[in-house]
Order: sequence, then C-alpha cells, then structure tokens
Amino acid sequence: MPIGDSSDLSAYLPIVMMIVLGFLFAALSFVASGLLAPKRPTVAKLDPYECGIVPSKEPAERFPVKFYLVAMIFIIFDIEIVFLYPWAVVYKQLAGFGIVEMGVFALAVVVSFFYLLANGALEWGPGKRLRVATPLKESAERTLRSTIRKVSNLDKDSDAAA
Amino acid sequence: MNLGVVPTLALVVPKINYWAILPDLILIGGALAVLALSSLTGRRFPAIWYSVSTAFLALATLGSALYLWFDITGKHHHAFVAIDAGIAVDGFSQLITMLVAATLFLVALSAPGYLRREGAGGPEFYVLSMLSASGAVLMGSANDLIVMFLGLEVLSIALYVMAGSNLKAIASGEAALKYFILGAFSSAIFLYGIALTYGSTGSTNLASIANYLAKNLLEHNGVLLAGAALMLLGFGFKVALVPFHAWSPDVYQGSPTPSVAFMSSVAKAAGFAGLIRVFYSALPTLRLDWQPVLWVLSVATLLVGSVLAVVQTDVKRMLAYSSISHAGFILIGLVAANPSGIAGSLYYLFTYSFLAVGSFTVVALVAGKGDSNHSLASYRGLSKRHPYLAAAMALMLIAQAGIPFTTGFLGKFYVLAAATDAHSYALALIAILSSVIAAFFYLRLGVLMYAPDGGELAVAPAVASGSASGSAQAGSASSAAATALAGTELLDAEDELLPVTRKGSWFAVPDDRGGDPILDDPAMAGSGVALVVSGDEAISGEVVNGPGAVGELRAPEIIDVPSSEKAGRDIGAAISIAICCTVTVFFGVFPSMLIDFAKQAKLLF
Repeated sequence: MPIGDSSDLSAYLPIVMMIVLGFLFAALSFVASGLLAPKRPTVAKLDPYECGIVPSKEPAERFPVKFYLVAMIFIIFDIEIVFLYPWAVVYKQLAGFGIVEMGVFALAVVVSFFYLLANGALEWGPGKRLRVATPLKESAERTLRSTIRKVSNLDKDSDAAA
Repeated sequence: MNLGVVPTLALVVPKINYWAILPDLILIGGALAVLALSSLTGRRFPAIWYSVSTAFLALATLGSALYLWFDITGKHHHAFVAIDAGIAVDGFSQLITMLVAATLFLVALSAPGYLRREGAGGPEFYVLSMLSASGAVLMGSANDLIVMFLGLEVLSIALYVMAGSNLKAIASGEAALKYFILGAFSSAIFLYGIALTYGSTGSTNLASIANYLAKNLLEHNGVLLAGAALMLLGFGFKVALVPFHAWSPDVYQGSPTPSVAFMSSVAKAAGFAGLIRVFYSALPTLRLDWQPVLWVLSVATLLVGSVLAVVQTDVKRMLAYSSISHAGFILIGLVAANPSGIAGSLYYLFTYSFLAVGSFTVVALVAGKGDSNHSLASYRGLSKRHPYLAAAMALMLIAQAGIPFTTGFLGKFYVLAAATDAHSYALALIAILSSVIAAFFYLRLGVLMYAPDGGELAVAPAVASGSASGSAQAGSASSAAATALAGTELLDAEDELLPVTRKGSWFAVPDDRGGDPILDDPAMAGSGVALVVSGDEAISGEVVNGPGAVGELRAPEIIDVPSSEKAGRDIGAAISIAICCTVTVFFGVFPSMLIDFAKQAKLLF
C-alpha cells in the first residue's frame, strides 16, 4: 500500500506519550533524589563495597570469562524458543511441512550446542584447569580486623567533625 | 483494541522447489555436517580433512550450479522463479553461485597450510566460509528484497567472525570490531531502504516492484528514491565503493589472510550481484535518477582507490585499495546499464575473484609465521628466495594492472567498451587514467620482487620509512633462509599500524582443554621455538591456565629457521595459486569461452 501524503499519524500518539513519560520519570527521579536526599557522607560509606567481605587480594587483571559460553548457550535455546512458540500456535495449519522444517531448524540449533560442548562450555569441574594462578593471600595491611577498626575510627572522626 | 484475539487466517505454505536451492542446501548442510562431526568426535579429525571435505562440498556446489545452468539454458527450458517467487533461478544467479563455489574451493585448498602455520586446526574457518558462501549464493539468486537481506546477513555475520578469527592478534580483533559495527550499521540502513521501497511500491518482490513501477507513475517518488539511495549505501558498503570504503583497508590489513582472500572476492561478488539485480532489474524506471549517482560513485571509487594505493607501504592495504579501484571498474558496467555492461561486470567479477584469491594466497605465504610480513620491504628480492612465488605474484599483479593476454585486461576492456557504447566517454577516460595510476603500484611491487636483495632501488619515498625496520631483517633472513617457503623472520612491527603479537590457537576458548597449542604442536616444539611466558611469578615455569586465562603468551621468538619448512610443502596453496594463474592466462589468451558464459548469464527480467 503506497504511503499517501495524508497518513494518519495520530495512531503514534501513545508511543510519543510513552517516550515523554519515560524521560520525565527518569529526569524527575534524579532531581528529586538530588533535592530531597540527606547528604551525610562518611569515609566508610564512600569506601568500595565488596559484598561485606574484606577484599583479600588485589583484583586480577585477567581472569577466565567462562560465563560468556553459558550466555551463548542461553541465547541459542532462547532463539529456538522464540521460533518454537509461533510454530506451536499454527501447528495444525502447517501440518507435516511445519514438523519437517522445525526438525531441520532444531537440528541446526543442536549442532551449535554440540559445538559449544566440544569446546568445553559445560566443563566447570574444579581442579585441572581452573586453578587460580595467584594464590589467595591476605595482604599485610588489609585484614578483617584492621578494616573494622579503621571503619569505626573513621566514623567517629567524621561524627566528631560534624 | 481487541488484543488476545488472534485472527486465524488461512496459512498458505509456499510450494518449495528444493532443486532451485540445491547449491545453498549443499553448502549449509555441509557446514552443519562438518561442524557436527568434528564436535561429536571430540575434534579428533586431522585438520586436513576439513579442508578436503570443504573443497569437495565446493565442487558439489559447483556441479549443482552447472546442472541448473544447463537445465535453464537448454532448448525447451528457461529461467524460473521458485519458492513464492523469492528465488530466481537464472543464468545470472548460477554464474554467481559458480564464482562463489570456485572461490570457496581455492580458499579451502590454500587455508590448511596457513592455519597449521598459525597453530590453528579447528573446523571453524571452513564451516564459516561455507556458511558465508551460502549467504553469497542466496544474495545472488534473491528475487525478493527480504531474501536478499537474509543472504546479506548470512554472508556478513560469518565474515565478521572470520575477520576476527585470530584471537591472539589484536589487529584481527580490531578488524572484526570495525567490520562488525560498520557492517551492522550498513545492514540496518539497507533494511530501512527496503522498508521505504516497500512503502512506496507495495511489495518486496523485485519483479512486482518492477511491474508496479512500469505500470504506475508515482507523483511524488521521494520515498522510493530515498529507499533506493539507502539500499545503494548498503550494497556500496559491502563492495567498498567510495565513500563507503573506509573499513576495507583496516579490515584487510588486520584479518587473517585467507579470510581476506575469501571476503575480497565473495563479498564483492555478492554485493554486486545484489546491486545489479535491484537497480538494473527492479528499478530500471529510475535509471535516470540512479545512473548519475553511480557515475559519481564509480569515478570516486576509481580515483580514490588507485591514488591511495600508491602511498601504501603495507601490501595488504595496497591490495585493499586496489580492490576498491577494481570495484569502480565493475561499477562501470552497471553505469552503462546495457546488457553488454552487465556481462562485462560479471566477467570482471569472475576473473577478479581468481586474481584476488591468487594474490592474497601469495601474500599469506610471504607473510611468514605470525602473518606479519606485509611491508613492501619484505617483498624485496622475493624472486631470489622463492622464484615461483614471485612469478605467480608478478602474474597476478600484471593481470590486475590490465596488461594484455590476461583476464584483467579483458575485464577492463569489456566494461570500457560497454561504457563507450553507452556514450559515457568521460567515465571511460577517467577509468583509463586510474588504471594508469594503478599500474604504477602494481609494477612497483613487481620490480621490487625482482630487485637484487641488497641493492637500493628508488621506489616511492613512502617505502623508505617502511623499510627502516624491514630491510635489515629481510636482508639477514634471506641469507639465512634462502629456501624456506615462509620467511619466518618476525618483523619488529613497532612502526606498523597494528602489530600482530601473541600467537596461539584460533578460536581458543579461554580454558583450552587441549593445553597450550604452541607447546603441544610437535612441529613447533621441534623447530627451536622459545616460548616466553610473561613474568608473573605464579605461572612462570608452567602455564597453569589456557592461553586466554591468566597465563599470557608472548610471541614466540624464532631462534633459527625450521629446516622442515621447505618450499613446496604447502601443496594446497601451490595448487590454488596454480589454478588462479592458469585461469588468468588461459582465459586471457582464449577469451571467447568465458565472455560467452558471462553473456549467457542473463537476468530473469
């Protein structure tokens, strides 16, 4: 259907409103947080936070990123589901043709899964290959005790200053 | 708004003619089979089997295309459309299929030697090249813009991965990233062009578009023109027309050389196939609008390609700019927009793919271990070290320069004849001028190869800076390794744009089960390779993790040249180069067969 010059743009109004509302919400949140939130920074609050555990070593510069393989497996099966679902909806109308085509598609997906397996994507076992290169060692300066002491002292200092 | 109610329209399943897509089925099925077999057997196949099976599948594709060709050019047969008019089975599509299959065959022959040298043995390169080839075949036979877009994506995504397949080279990753980001943009723009074209003509089918535009005169055709322009941009990116060419030198330089050999010919063929089909076949009514645009693009591509190639000191970059200039020539046939122009473009594409594969195969061999010797200086005196390699390269360069009795000359001749038939004399003159400029850098490289080793040769001043680090090493290496096929001196690539460093297995998963590829490779272990492990005290002495994990591998220092790497060991590459040379000379001397082939490769409509 060729686009005429009198195309009805009012159908797009909800989308425009949604975009405007989205921007407004984000902007207002920032402004409100800046205006309303109390600001009482302490050194402890500004310290790097690591899940409540005292950092025991410097972060490694290079580390194995095996997660991306899991992410890839996820994407492969995600894509498969994306196509399986519409097929399920029109399953009866597609009949035998649909089954054959989905079989071919599933085969292609499975081959890529085999490829990942052959590359060791699911070999997460401890031991032989995943040994950490640098041994975990607590540095002399930073232990659990010293950090707690430091944090409490800092809190006192900042309270006194305030 | 009644969401939730799905209208149950009768679903019409198109009749699928599997013969029409036989070449594609062979390529995709073959790729899946190779990948599945190698994965299920735990990668125990010797690497050469991947190459052999890929070459076999390429020949099967070629055979199926030939079968279809004879089927549709027979007396009582004619070209037809299949699968809901989405696929065109005509001479044009079968010629593109044969071109792609031939290129795949040649690359499959020449790749194993390279991959073995670089310490890679997996099936990935072959599988990706087959999938990419299937995309190119689909693009060549697409009769629908959506099918064409599918082909473009299948072609491109595999090429992005092939560009970045050398995980250990930073340059390769950079090339892949550049290619991917720019390519994704161009694909999106192309898709937008399809949307606008659909909006103004009501169909994505090329025949329906042509039919609609022939019967209706659009009062305001701005949307259609915008759609055509955006599609032109998408194709122009794929075939590297100026000003959409900027990715090509960087990608050619950084990618592994067999990937470059493949992409330089297959991507160009597929891109031009799509360009010709969409503009010449589906939008002939807009010819007065697109012809001047293509004229300007062609002139810019010709001149920028040849002029910038002159100042390159890296042979791969030089060949990249030369391929840009070739794209300008191929475009001339489409600017002429007559049957002889299209035949000329097809002839040029077909012969250029052999030239590209041949020259990049030689480049891969000269590059040596690490794929790093690409400076002009490392070609100095090549004829002394490897006379056959130098002769083959000289032939490729002569043909690309357009010297008579080669296919390169005839390709240029046919497109220029078509241009003069269409009375675009200025374009023909500019093309000849650019070919003169191009002859300079082809001949410079040729003269450099036949120059005496130590002799100072007055080449372009730009070469002097490149040879500062290269000439000393090239000189010493040539005496040490007079017979080594692959000059194994590692160029100290500080002044190169992107130094190729760390080597190791391609596609290595960070935690490589096979252990260290360099240590495990008996050929490397026996040839005096010193492996330098970076000075992290925890891993010195033993590489605890795989190459990608914590242990950092530096480029191995070659202490002496392995004597086992004699000339002629890479039989596959030698066969591949020999085929390219034979085709170039044979069809240069006896042109009638190939040009008749190109003339018979007619479009469906």
